[in-house]
Amino acid sequence: MDIRSTLAAAEYGASRPATAPSAGTAGGRLADTARDFAATLEQADSLGQAALTGRADAHSLVQALAQTQLAVEAAVTVRDRVVEAYQEILRMPV
Amino acid sequence: MDEFFQGAAAAASGLKAQAHRLRLVSENIANADTPGYRRKVTDFEAVLRGGQPTGEVAAGPVRLDPREQERIWDPASPLADETGTYLGSNVEMVIEIADAREAQRSYEANLRLFDQARQMARGLLELLRR
Repeated sequence: MDIRSTLAAAEYGASRPATAPSAGTAGGRLADTARDFAATLEQADSLGQAALTGRADAHSLVQALAQTQLAVEAAVTVRDRVVEAYQEILRMPV
Repeated sequence: MDEFFQGAAAAASGLKAQAHRLRLVSENIANADTPGYRRKVTDFEAVLRGGQPTGEVAAGPVRLDPREQERIWDPASPLADETGTYLGSNVEMVIEIADAREAQRSYEANLRLFDQARQMARGLLELLRR
């Protein structure tokens, strides 16, 4: 069997308790990551609104947007990999 | 990602500080002929968070240059005193223009570094996509 599928199965098993909000375990770390990601998005959103109304300066806006862009790209890449691993497992002949 | 974010934050703080410096220079140049004007100067200081330096920079409080202002000889001016001179400003064009050029170079360097941190982070993520 392909080594990638084995590793993918292990990763999927580790990420299964992701819905349980407990700190310290792999699922807790995933929930923390999601929370940080949501906080980054929220901060960038509020800064964007403040910039549109003229209250925030351009540098903070650009910095927050660049950070958000990077965070979103990272989250999307991780999501794609996890979904691909899940699909690999589904494709396993029973 | 945290290293990249901190590097980008430091570069962004540098951009803000240099922009502030450039603003003060342009204010000084605009007021070079204003009677009694003292040029504005500012120092940069390291940003501390919880006592620890974060690596970021911030422009300090704006001070006035205490140097002597030049006396302009013009007996016809309404501001002239009994010697026929009035107090000008202490702005020297050459110094201000040199300062503006330095601020611009620093701004470009910070901008390039900000972009480089972004590109490095993106390059790292590209590895995962393949």
